[in-house]
Amino acid sequence: MADTLFGYSIPFPTYDLYVAITAVALYIPSIILTTPEAFGRRVQASRAAGSDLPPAVGIDGVQYLHVKVGDLLWVATTRVNLSPSLVSELLLRITVICRDYFGQVTEECVRRNLPLVYELLDEVMDYGFPQNSSTERLKQFIAIQPQAARSLPPGVTGVAGGEAFDRPAEVIKSVLDTSRTGPVKDEIFVDIVERLTATFDATGRQKSSSITGAVQIKSYLSGNPPIQLGLNEDLIIRGREGGPASHASSDAVVLETCSLHQAVDPRRLDTDRVLELVPPNGHFAAMNYRSTRSFRPPFRVYPLMEDDAVAPDKLTLYVRLRAEFPPSKTATGVELRLPLPRSVQRVHVETDGARPATLGLPSKTHFAQGAEWVERDRVLVWNLKHLRGSQEHTLRARLTVDAGSVEAVKRDYGPITVQFVLPGKPSASGLDVRYMKILKQEKNYNPARWFRVVAVANSYQIRPHWL
Amino acid sequence: MADGRFFSTTKKGEVAEYKNDLHSLDRKSQKNAVKRVIAAMTVGKDVSSLFPGTHNVVNCMQTEDMELKKLVYLYLINYAKTQPDLAIMAVNTFVKDTQDPNPLIRALAVRTMGCIRVDKITEYLCDPLQRCLKDEDPYVRKTAAVCVAKLYDISAEMVEDRGFLDVLRDMVGDANPMVVANAVAALAEIQASSSGPVFVIDGAVLTKLLRALNECSEWGQVFILDALAAYTPADSRDAEGIVERVAARLQHANGAVVLSAIKLILHAAKYIEDAGARAAIHKKLAPPLVTLLGAEPEIQYVALRNIDLIVQSVPGILSHEVKVFFCKYNDPIYVKTEKLEIMIKLADEKNIDQVLLELREYASEVDVDFVRKAVRAVGRCAISLEPAAERCVNVLLDLIQGRVSYVVQEAVVVLRDVFRRYPGRYERVIAPLCECLEALDEPEAKAAMVWIIGEYADRIDNADELLEQFLEGFPEESPGVQLALVTATVKLFLRKPSEKPQALIQLVLSYATQETDSPDLRDRAYIYWRLLSADPDAARDVVLAPRPVIEAAADGVDPALRAELLGELGSLASVLHRPAAAFTSAARLAVRRASQLGAGGVGVSRSTSTAADEAGGTAAGGSAGGSAAATPHVPTPPAPVPDLLGDLLDLGGADADAAAPAPTQAPTTHAAAGAPDVLDLLGGLSVSNGAVFGADAGRAAPGAASHLPVLLAAEAGKGLVIRGGVEREAGGQLAYQLHLENAGAGVPLDGFMIQLNKNGWGLVPQSQTIPVPRLAPGASASARVPLVQNPASATPALTPALQVAIKVSQLGVLYLADAVPLAALLREDGRTSPEAFVGEWQALPDAAEQARTLPLVIHAVPAAQASLEAARLFVMAHKSVPGAEVLYVTGAAGLPSGQRAQLLLELRFVPGQRGVATVFKAQETSLAPAAFDAVAAALS
Repeated sequence: MADTLFGYSIPFPTYDLYVAITAVALYIPSIILTTPEAFGRRVQASRAAGSDLPPAVGIDGVQYLHVKVGDLLWVATTRVNLSPSLVSELLLRITVICRDYFGQVTEECVRRNLPLVYELLDEVMDYGFPQNSSTERLKQFIAIQPQAARSLPPGVTGVAGGEAFDRPAEVIKSVLDTSRTGPVKDEIFVDIVERLTATFDATGRQKSSSITGAVQIKSYLSGNPPIQLGLNEDLIIRGREGGPASHASSDAVVLETCSLHQAVDPRRLDTDRVLELVPPNGHFAAMNYRSTRSFRPPFRVYPLMEDDAVAPDKLTLYVRLRAEFPPSKTATGVELRLPLPRSVQRVHVETDGARPATLGLPSKTHFAQGAEWVERDRVLVWNLKHLRGSQEHTLRARLTVDAGSVEAVKRDYGPITVQFVLPGKPSASGLDVRYMKILKQEKNYNPARWFRVVAVANSYQIRPHWL
Repeated sequence: MADGRFFSTTKKGEVAEYKNDLHSLDRKSQKNAVKRVIAAMTVGKDVSSLFPGTHNVVNCMQTEDMELKKLVYLYLINYAKTQPDLAIMAVNTFVKDTQDPNPLIRALAVRTMGCIRVDKITEYLCDPLQRCLKDEDPYVRKTAAVCVAKLYDISAEMVEDRGFLDVLRDMVGDANPMVVANAVAALAEIQASSSGPVFVIDGAVLTKLLRALNECSEWGQVFILDALAAYTPADSRDAEGIVERVAARLQHANGAVVLSAIKLILHAAKYIEDAGARAAIHKKLAPPLVTLLGAEPEIQYVALRNIDLIVQSVPGILSHEVKVFFCKYNDPIYVKTEKLEIMIKLADEKNIDQVLLELREYASEVDVDFVRKAVRAVGRCAISLEPAAERCVNVLLDLIQGRVSYVVQEAVVVLRDVFRRYPGRYERVIAPLCECLEALDEPEAKAAMVWIIGEYADRIDNADELLEQFLEGFPEESPGVQLALVTATVKLFLRKPSEKPQALIQLVLSYATQETDSPDLRDRAYIYWRLLSADPDAARDVVLAPRPVIEAAADGVDPALRAELLGELGSLASVLHRPAAAFTSAARLAVRRASQLGAGGVGVSRSTSTAADEAGGTAAGGSAGGSAAATPHVPTPPAPVPDLLGDLLDLGGADADAAAPAPTQAPTTHAAAGAPDVLDLLGGLSVSNGAVFGADAGRAAPGAASHLPVLLAAEAGKGLVIRGGVEREAGGQLAYQLHLENAGAGVPLDGFMIQLNKNGWGLVPQSQTIPVPRLAPGASASARVPLVQNPASATPALTPALQVAIKVSQLGVLYLADAVPLAALLREDGRTSPEAFVGEWQALPDAAEQARTLPLVIHAVPAAQASLEAARLFVMAHKSVPGAEVLYVTGAAGLPSGQRAQLLLELRFVPGQRGVATVFKAQETSLAPAAFDAVAAALS
């Protein structure tokens, strides 16, 4: 963790903004004599305690509001009763703008671009009033050139957690590139990122489920032509007009709620189920939505705790993990965590090799998996780097428990949680972008278009004691 | 921690390097240099020396290069304050720039001028500002609008004289929505710091704002929506119109817009007459609230805190949505905590099974704090939802059987409250509870268990044995447990007046009255003792009287405060659940403290009102702590005194040191607040019945804190009040007597440590730990820290000054200055022989002599002699001279080296007359002032 902290602050009587960078945070004293050190100490204290600092913290009459993006804390301070969600949204937006301008938001990038950060913030807000937060419209006011970061970070992760794997061109470039000369190609990325929440009982039955999704766009199109994204024609959005009549088929895609980016024309969505917009350059979510339709779970987990025939203080735990999606898809970063109660003394874990669940050719790729017992957190962690569809794996753990606590262990282990990133169509909610039109009156204009669907686990839990 | 490192930068020597570049004529290297200057500036480096001549800056400003111009402007904003010359030199360029053909430069100039808070600049700002407010370019106009707010902050008069407010009001009707939004924001800002009406929204303004709403930026929408919330709809139709126009905002992707829209809609809905229409509107609010929970955790947190208020005020609005508040395992802890709160509030007969299943599941998670909260939540559901109490209790039982120590302890605490809510209903739980006594090691859980045993002594066969187990460690227990044990033993005796309980009660009462330092404990034991010996039947009536049933915990926010906060939905106040006035200005705090002090009456009525205040404070959320207690918006009825008394006798101990038990709203049942007051009440009793209590009761309790001076007030101590002083205990042991009160830290405090700087007497604490329990907000505790003298820690000068550092885990290190009273250092064996006295007196040079007339009256020599000797100042001889009496007094102070400093004093006075001429003689002349003080203290 870097100890060097720097800061940037805009001294506004209404509130100060600190861009807090890196491991801890960074700041600068300004007109209001706030003491960033006090906040820094609070951050460190809560980190030491292993808990999360609430987004609004009052210290000595100053309220510190922060958001955490990656390793960076972005902090604003105020003494007045303003809207914290406005500040949080603004801070988050500033991180997005910075990402749009420097390509990525890391400590190094921000440090190298401090004057540009200054200039951006100066435009984004005036006297603490947010003004112009659109990457696109900011371009005309920004004079300072961005500096590229010297090195790429090893793993770029984004808010959605969906960017941690290979993709066509992980773009680390500035939106300003489109308006400047050089061999920069026009391209647009459209992602449907869905975060899945599901709870299963011991038998693998899905007890509850919901999907939080977003249609995310990264646009690097010069000249900002309007685009159209055609969604499913039978899409039903509750609380909105249009779409098929309510007696539509039961497999229609249903969204409980949805919210739209400012650039999206809501009327076109209501009438034709088309997202029509003039995409500003940079990252943004064209549509956020929520669906409570039950989806086909991509993974099923069957835990089983067996008594030992011989030893009265031993148990054998089997965890069967089945990939329920078709073999054409491969999940990455699969991690299963299973907490065990305190009366478990020792754990011996073993995993199997690759073995297709159904009959067929053995898998060619020998994939990496590993399991370990993390004594400190009392949790069994099972990692599978890749998991092809239809495969099944079993983890076997021999537990040695305190005398007489066998029943208690059987009753109190879990809940099991699974993390994963699963790219590929169809999306869990069924939402799809059927086509993308770029409405530009130029014959040879054919920018690269990237489209993908990703499902990531939000809270994917198996509760072994539920029946 | 090296705070300095927060501002450290990468390289040294950089400064010199770019100094050269700044003077370069090459535009590019100049620009790069300015950039680096700015970068250095942002990390807190002083780079003001880099532009040695103002000429250079102004030169750079006049550039055509936009990038360089902007950089220099940024530099100016930062340094104008410290280098006003710089700004004044730049004024002409600024003014010129405000007339530049490029609107970006015009706006930049006026924006920058507004940020430079130097009088000279401000004077020059008015004319350009006037022009820019009418500029043809909307970008310039909107920048100018904000600038008016800046100017108002510098000089309100100037804004009013120039009529800028009227211009701003006109701008609300501007054709450009961006300009409208900024004008609204500026007016709202000005309104906040102005007493008169600045921005009144009438029908005409309303129309303009609603028109601009759909077209302006998301931030502008927030400003407009917030401004509209101040509008009072003319009638029901008007209100409906507003709701209709604003409803589309509920689908906005920006959480701030959504929350402001909800606030406005809730506000407008109040004016809608048709209840059905109102309900329909409320129904519309549920989906957007739920959608906010899909956002980033920081946004979720704000939403959840607001939802907490909304579900209390508009019950039923989310009654079908309890599922969305189920915690995800990877939610940050602050989100989980808020979700738990809302789950409890949304729990009803229909969904309680689901909720309990969830809570049961959380109890097996890894995070101990969260598990505890989940267990507590089960108890709170039991208390607030009578039909489901049975099921909740079953879950608690199930949890107890898991035998996880902290789960069991938390469950015991909430079960005590369940018993208080449903007396006598769940006695079947008692047996399993009694099986896990050994798991209890936290004071709160122990006290709760002891209370349960005492309360149900007649249903528990081996209650006497169980209590005996607890009593074995009685002297080591924390005060709360001791109090609970005393009460429980008395209950046991009254319920089962047999041999063993009698033995127990004698044991416990004799210990509590004779061996303890705790005044609370001793006083309570005396009350019981007296009650039991005077009239056992009366004792039974008092101690075993039916308790008031605690009410369903109306969790959290007081209705009056809630109504206020609801009007501030989406604001910081609504997130902190505190009125804006409580945190927007630190100065307010002191004012409220003072008014609270003045509010008290006398005697019993006074203590009751404080008690009620405190009860209100604890109920108001615990987190707000002392400051919430002072909230003027919490109307708490004064608690009837007899109730309070009955309650203390019974329960005070169980809660006395509880951080914040299940937040019980009813002040009458909140025992913690009751305790000190009744002790006051009985203090008077003890004097009139001195015979019963014996001489002991008359003596000031060593732990009583009231006589200790305040060393650190709450303001300086970050909410911790420290009283204390160095005292000499019987036997000659020196000790720092401390009384710590968590008056406003807002969080429980623990980990108290003390350290003394090198001092004249070489005092060091024997142990750095201050033996006080964790202090919940509002709680206080006394402690003594034994001190020893160590020559290595002594300064050469023998001064009484004592610098003390007290460390608290949550507050860091607090420093305070104290003085060591000489009296504490006077030794018991300070006597010398009269010969030695005379010999020494004569041996000392005149320079060692100091004299002062003390404003004291001595009536009789024997009484004075007794008083002086009590302070270890011994009278060597008494002589009557014509017209006066003379006392020769000596005393010996222990020096750090272990040697003694013999003090010789001569006191000359006329009995009954004011004025004692005192002469001091000693080798250590610096002790004279302290010696005079010691004499005065002994004789006054």
